[in-house]
Amino acid sequence: MASVHESLYFNPMMTNGVVHANVFGIKDWVTPYKISVLALLYEMTASKITLPERRRLNKLILPLQQGPDLTLGQFLKTVEECCPQTAYAVKLRLHEMADGELKDMEYFFSTLPTPFTAFDTEAYKTSVVGLFMRHMLLAYNKLSFSQVYKLYKSLQHYYHSHYAKPMDGQVPALVADDSEMDLTSIEDTVGDRVDKEELDTPLHESELQSDNTPSRGPLSQKQAEYFLARQAYLLKNDENKALKPAALQEELNNMLKFNPDFAEAHYLNYLNSMRVQDIFLSAHSLLHYFDRLILSGNDGKSNGDEGYGRSLRYAALNLASLHCRFGHYQQADLALQEAIRIAQESNDHVCLQHCLSWLYTLEQMKGSDSTVLTEDSVKMAAHFCLPYLASLGIQSLVQQGATQGKTAHKLMDALKDTDILHWKHSLSELIEISLAQTTSIWRMYGKSTMSLQQAQLLLNMSSLEPVNFGVQQNNTEGFAVVLCHLAELHAEQGLYGVVSEIILHLKEQFPPHTQHAKLWMLCDLKIQFERHMNEGKYHLAEPLVTAIAALNQTEGLYRKAQVLKALNRNTEAYHILQQLQARCEKAKCTEMVIRVMLSTAELHWESSGFSTALPVLLQALALARQHHLQSLASETILHLAFTQLMLGVPEQALNVLHEAIEPILAHRAVMDKGRAMLLAARCQMAVAGFKPNRQGQAADLRLAASALDTLNEAAAYFSQLNCKERLRDVHYLQAQLHRSLGQILESNKSAMLFRLLDQELQSPAPPVSMRL
Amino acid sequence: MKMAALCSEFVDLVQIKKQLISVISLCKERGLLHSAKWASELAFALEPLPKDELPPTSPLTEEDAQDLDALTLAKSYFDLKEYDRAAYFLKGCRSQKAYFLYMYSRYLSGEKKKDDETVDSLGPLEKGQVRNEALRELRVELSKKHTAGELDGFTLYLYGVVLRKLDLPKEAVDVFVEGIHALPLHWGAWLELSNLVTNIEMLKSLSLPDCWIKDFFMAHMYTELQMIKEALQKYQNLIEAGFSKSTYIISQIAVAYHNIRDIDQALALFNELREQDPYRIDNMDTFSNLLYVKSMKPELSYLAHNLVEIDKYRVETCCVIGNYYSLRSQHEKAALYFQRALKLNPRCLGAWTLMGHEYMEMKNTSAAIQAYRHAIEVNKRDYRAWYGLGQTYEILKMPFYCLYYYRKAHQLRPNDSRMLVALGESYEKLSQQAEAKKCYWRAYSVGDVEKMALLKLAKLHEQLNESDDAAQCYMLYIQDIFSCGEQLEHAEVSTALRYLGQYYFKNKLYDEASLCAQRCCDYNDAREEGKALLRQISQVRDQIETPSADLFAPLSNNNTPVRRVSPLNLISFTP
Repeated sequence: MASVHESLYFNPMMTNGVVHANVFGIKDWVTPYKISVLALLYEMTASKITLPERRRLNKLILPLQQGPDLTLGQFLKTVEECCPQTAYAVKLRLHEMADGELKDMEYFFSTLPTPFTAFDTEAYKTSVVGLFMRHMLLAYNKLSFSQVYKLYKSLQHYYHSHYAKPMDGQVPALVADDSEMDLTSIEDTVGDRVDKEELDTPLHESELQSDNTPSRGPLSQKQAEYFLARQAYLLKNDENKALKPAALQEELNNMLKFNPDFAEAHYLNYLNSMRVQDIFLSAHSLLHYFDRLILSGNDGKSNGDEGYGRSLRYAALNLASLHCRFGHYQQADLALQEAIRIAQESNDHVCLQHCLSWLYTLEQMKGSDSTVLTEDSVKMAAHFCLPYLASLGIQSLVQQGATQGKTAHKLMDALKDTDILHWKHSLSELIEISLAQTTSIWRMYGKSTMSLQQAQLLLNMSSLEPVNFGVQQNNTEGFAVVLCHLAELHAEQGLYGVVSEIILHLKEQFPPHTQHAKLWMLCDLKIQFERHMNEGKYHLAEPLVTAIAALNQTEGLYRKAQVLKALNRNTEAYHILQQLQARCEKAKCTEMVIRVMLSTAELHWESSGFSTALPVLLQALALARQHHLQSLASETILHLAFTQLMLGVPEQALNVLHEAIEPILAHRAVMDKGRAMLLAARCQMAVAGFKPNRQGQAADLRLAASALDTLNEAAAYFSQLNCKERLRDVHYLQAQLHRSLGQILESNKSAMLFRLLDQELQSPAPPVSMRL
Repeated sequence: MKMAALCSEFVDLVQIKKQLISVISLCKERGLLHSAKWASELAFALEPLPKDELPPTSPLTEEDAQDLDALTLAKSYFDLKEYDRAAYFLKGCRSQKAYFLYMYSRYLSGEKKKDDETVDSLGPLEKGQVRNEALRELRVELSKKHTAGELDGFTLYLYGVVLRKLDLPKEAVDVFVEGIHALPLHWGAWLELSNLVTNIEMLKSLSLPDCWIKDFFMAHMYTELQMIKEALQKYQNLIEAGFSKSTYIISQIAVAYHNIRDIDQALALFNELREQDPYRIDNMDTFSNLLYVKSMKPELSYLAHNLVEIDKYRVETCCVIGNYYSLRSQHEKAALYFQRALKLNPRCLGAWTLMGHEYMEMKNTSAAIQAYRHAIEVNKRDYRAWYGLGQTYEILKMPFYCLYYYRKAHQLRPNDSRMLVALGESYEKLSQQAEAKKCYWRAYSVGDVEKMALLKLAKLHEQLNESDDAAQCYMLYIQDIFSCGEQLEHAEVSTALRYLGQYYFKNKLYDEASLCAQRCCDYNDAREEGKALLRQISQVRDQIETPSADLFAPLSNNNTPVRRVSPLNLISFTP
């Protein structure tokens, strides 16, 4: 309530009415801190200082002059670091004033070298120092009688509050004998002191909150601006270093209580509420901010480019983005249309461009095809010289192109071109996105090494952002994506220790409530799921499905089908797969379609429908090749080879397999490598004419021996992953092969290993031949 | 039964009068002018007491006698607003009365200095720091005495005020309740408490003394919490109990009627109030709002001139003059006077909102937004400011953006049709017809003030080719317009009749159609169409004369919901 009262006097609208505190148009006000700076400048001109010290002091002047107000302790410490002698002189001068009388301060101001008189000093009237001094002198001269007195009192407070607490050594001794000269002392000093002490003892918790401690008190304009800028920067780049949402909220409330006109605080409030997904508060703050902004920007009073019409457009646009963030697509659409309409009416092409880029983003989020819109946006953005929007559009196009099977080199070319643009304009955010995108694309194509390399490139790149707030690594979406890929790549190689470290880092960097936390949550779940599936612990994998489905429905359905298949509930699995395929084909989600086809084919095998599996697999292969999805293509080939083996053409199978084995060994997960080797061994055995349970009939001993080698290799891969079921199969085959080769000792050893694993697993072994 | 209990409390009006007289002198001695004024007004409304019934002045204690001179001196300084001086001479006095005056002058001195400082501050750095320095010291001293149990009703009241100013509402409420228990007749404490009660649950949870004054408090609270029906009931009871002459109660009832927009009742009461108390300025701004709504220029002009003669530097006067200029479409001057009102009292909520309206009229949208935002800052629950913000953005052609503000306003006044109609219009502009329909229908259901909702709903149905619904809405609209009796400027009965005529004609209900067409002829803008329709009807009738009437019977039976309202009802309407 009270704040309204005060704000009235600073209300631009009321200028012609109320006595305006800022009526002289002075931006600078004399504060105790400024007096200290003046004292420093005075000492610097007056006394002789050695050259290195002077240099250091000179470097200090600008930040001191333009920075926020410091406490006396901080100020003296900074000066002391440069020149202890000057610091002492400044301290002495301040002491003279604070413990003297009002006239001492007046005297100080009158002795300041007037820039108009001193031509040869640094304080010449047009120099930075001279300008500052002139400002201060002017401001001081404009003060009314009571204001001068108040300034003096606050100077005393400023000085004494520094010496009251920290050191009771030398200076308080100086203070003590002067106390009767204190202007403030009225006759009942003793009683007052007692009261003051009582006042300082906390009576109540709520009392503490309204307490006027330095951190809680009102901030000066500059301090507030600095605080807001810093927090906003941190929110954008490294949320963890920013204040916690609740603490920040409290600070902002405090700031707004004293200065309700500070519009930027409302904006930060909006950002802060977004962090905790509070739609009500964020919408409220956003609108409040723009209401305020419209006021401050009303100089133009026109609807043109500069007036408040401009902020109106952006207000609508921001509202659209807000709804977009919360997934209210219809609302976002309406707000966006409004923004577009107003922007069109006032011919604001830049704003329109922003609207357009939001429009395609919105379309994309809704799941419809927005290629045409995006292309338009890129063209227009390039035309209006908006590099940021243009390359954002290109990146979005690349993403769409990748999923739609555009040729790889075109995509990479486009990314390379935008990269040049980014470096040229130092758009560090876009560079990050671009690297993350390259990582994802390489991964999609199944080139794990390239993907790994790009990920490392981003992680090791030193950020272009100024690191003045100690931000080394940003927590933008790009980093989250790259780290997730990194985790998955390591999981594929069975390096679960590394994976858990990466996930831990992600958890720290992106706490669960933040915007990008879903990325690593899904990634973590997927890795766990794969691990359990590989180890055959289906009962552990099953509960994860629900969690995955909560984060990504399609992925959840697919995983569910996989678990059902593993548990031999084939009918249910088949239904889900059918459903999933229809859905993914509609959403043009090629990767998933191929995976679903592979799973369907596996289901056909279960019912010995090997010939029915063939067309499905061929279709999958065609799709994978068309979209350059190498990893899925080789996976499909593996499936094809197995089918052929089962259909009794092992030679063909072996031929086909040779085609795939190279990329698999180069890029695929350990599990896939093992499976490929196992299959190769079985093909070799079949080609060699080996039949189980018949001794010594191996037609081709050489082939049989190489099959043994392959099996050993497969065993090595499987044991790396602790995949006991498959290991059991391998041992079984090994035992048989050894026996057919007449190596009874090895055969017995393998048989024993098989027996041990069989006992451990307890579940009846499925027929060896029936799975890949 | 409740009535009976209430009456029995009020049987002893003489007793009440005695109490009032004694509390008036107590308040006066302590410089509590507003409470004294309230009590005196109420006492004036009661029968005068015979001489021997007058309550004796409270006997002086030993301490009082000792402090008498200092107190008299201090009181005279106090009355001349020399608070520090008063406090100085009261220091060391031991009587309760002197202690209260001592603390009270210190408090007022702090407040006065705070107001002076604000103008004379050291720039933006100090802007928020200006505060009543005395508050914390007062709090410490009072809390010590409080724990020792040495505070009487008046000092408890002061303690509560200090706590409230220090933003400690919870503690303040407790202290006020305690103070009220100690001295129930001090109206100031009740008023301060009413400022801290935010909802009905909180009101119910307070334990208040069972005194006749509690009824006044409850009535006041009900008005504040927008529970007008209950408030009116309370005030009615008070009048019946013997306070019929109280100007306070009359003004409160008038304000309550104003809040539920029962304009005629409120106007009548205000006129009565003006007769009884011609030099009254309190609540006259509300009166002028009513006159403004009714566009009663001469009355408003008379009121404005009258008030200027009484005292031109009062917030209420400025608001009245602002309204006067606004009604004369001199919006710059109106805004100037609202600004003056705000200068006199920056916490005056109504003036901010009214100023917003003026800026809107001047098409200065940014200034309007600023004014509305200020109003919201003073009171977040000011639905008019939210509504005004919505209107501003609507003028700026941002229908989606203004939805938020209208929604806020609607939230605060769920049963006000104006917000609902505004919401509906915005939805219509956004082509969200389904939402718009809901809004219009709801606006009609809660009692449409402007009688526009149904017409808009009907037009919406017409656009969507839902002819049955449209016809029904038009039918309801016509009934609504005629049943309210008075002639509305924007009434579009002819549109409705025209549509209905066509509709019946299409559905081959020729009798009804011709009736509507005839009615159409009463309006200038629809006369030609009415005649044309009549001709068409007679043509068609000639044609179907030859077949039989049997064909016609089933047709009229299987008809639409419109049949529910008999079109013949139209006969009773006199346009």
